[in-house]
Amino acid sequence: MVPPDERSRALVSVLGTAETKVTFEDPRSIPEMVLAVVEAALEDAALGWHDIDAVVTASVDLFDGLTASSIAVTEVVGAVMKPETRIAADGLAAAVHAVHQIMAGAYRRILVVAHGKASMAPYWDLTAWAMDPIFLQPLGVNFLTFAGLQAAMLARHDPHAVSRWATTAALRRSAATGGIAGPISVDRVMASPVVASPLRAGMCAPVGDGACAVILGDPNIGDRNLGEEDVRIAGIGHDVGPHHLMIGELTDWAGLRRASQRAYTLAGVTKPTFAIVEPSCLFPHEEELFVEAVGIGTTAPHSPGGGLFAGTAPVISGLSRLLRVVRALKGRTGERGLAHGTWGPAGQGQVVVVAETP
Amino acid sequence: MILESTIRLPFSYAAGTVGSRFLIALREDQKILGARCTSCSTVTAPPRPFCSSCSRTVTELVEVGPDGTLEAWTNQPGNGVFGLILLDGADTPIVHRILGTINPGTVNAEAINMTPGARVTAMFAKDRTGRITDIEGFIVEQDDP
Repeated sequence: MVPPDERSRALVSVLGTAETKVTFEDPRSIPEMVLAVVEAALEDAALGWHDIDAVVTASVDLFDGLTASSIAVTEVVGAVMKPETRIAADGLAAAVHAVHQIMAGAYRRILVVAHGKASMAPYWDLTAWAMDPIFLQPLGVNFLTFAGLQAAMLARHDPHAVSRWATTAALRRSAATGGIAGPISVDRVMASPVVASPLRAGMCAPVGDGACAVILGDPNIGDRNLGEEDVRIAGIGHDVGPHHLMIGELTDWAGLRRASQRAYTLAGVTKPTFAIVEPSCLFPHEEELFVEAVGIGTTAPHSPGGGLFAGTAPVISGLSRLLRVVRALKGRTGERGLAHGTWGPAGQGQVVVVAETP
Repeated sequence: MILESTIRLPFSYAAGTVGSRFLIALREDQKILGARCTSCSTVTAPPRPFCSSCSRTVTELVEVGPDGTLEAWTNQPGNGVFGLILLDGADTPIVHRILGTINPGTVNAEAINMTPGARVTAMFAKDRTGRITDIEGFIVEQDDP
């Protein structure tokens, strides 16, 4: 429960949410997937297109195979003749930008949309083109290489790390009812092919296609859709680290620690205990970095639905974590949740949102 | 219906003043340069025009390596073995390919004994073109060749 003296620090209200079911290959086009979640989010918020003042979209041209993702989404998010801010980062960072815009008083209600289709090209190969073109691209490294190096750094002095990570992956996949990859045993994880040692295929969250939309609103405008049961965003934090690997940054998500501290300060969180915690971790070793950085303690439960191991898509992960936090908190009184997003190699970008109910 | 396509787009990247000096040193002299910050003394390798610690503008380049310490490595089947290497004289690690061991005189990628903390040395390409791949990769030194 949120202590009484820490309540009512709402920055914005969450008015509606929607997401597609993540699949390995969604036969729909990007505009069709995005339109589906936008219409569903509007319906969830009992709002119409005319109620939305502005749009923030998250997409990455490289992943979309487009010279500009605006080609695909600007019309279906209803942004024609409206302000659209587009960011090339995780969808939760788009939500944070929307919070900034509402807090600045620029807009009352903002639609936040993220989409990603890993089925369009070999995802990890594609990430090689998101690396520095002078020092890294010619080597052929990609985000998976960096994840492997990060895991290797963490396992250097920890002989039990790999078996522990296999157990974590199996646990998450078991909790992921309806997940796109299904349950897996620890033995099968350990027998799965090495993809970037010490990481094995069974330790990686499955990446497919998905879209997600969240509608945020100013909590002070007397919106007809706002009620006591609405979930509010009370804290936001955002941090970007260096692109080139630094030894310290690899074994410690210091950027996430800074981001979470900013969010906790805004939300008035003095002790990080949450009713629900949803990290965006594609690999088990990232969960350990996450738990350490946000300070929830190693025994605190998180990822009740299996987290990203249930299946995720590029760019949507963090926004879909917010959606899950909002849905878990809705209708409960005085509870608090934490959603996390990350992007870039080895967790270069980090974003945290603290949500709560009055 | 899925339409197949391929994106082909030639592109020109400016390596910048510091990056160019680094690449020219690789090509011409088989030397690896790092950028030394005159404010905090951090040596960043590969060099960048700003300090990786204090963000000050950096113009002083110093030679680092070619030997170093293997901090971590990862094997990506089908793509290669990559290491995080702290070159002697540098404060930040370089990512590069790990080629294997020389025992004696021939590269043996199958016999890699890559304990973190192992000593490695850069192997330069015979035909160098002014790219990071002018370092072909790093060879793991063996205590008992």
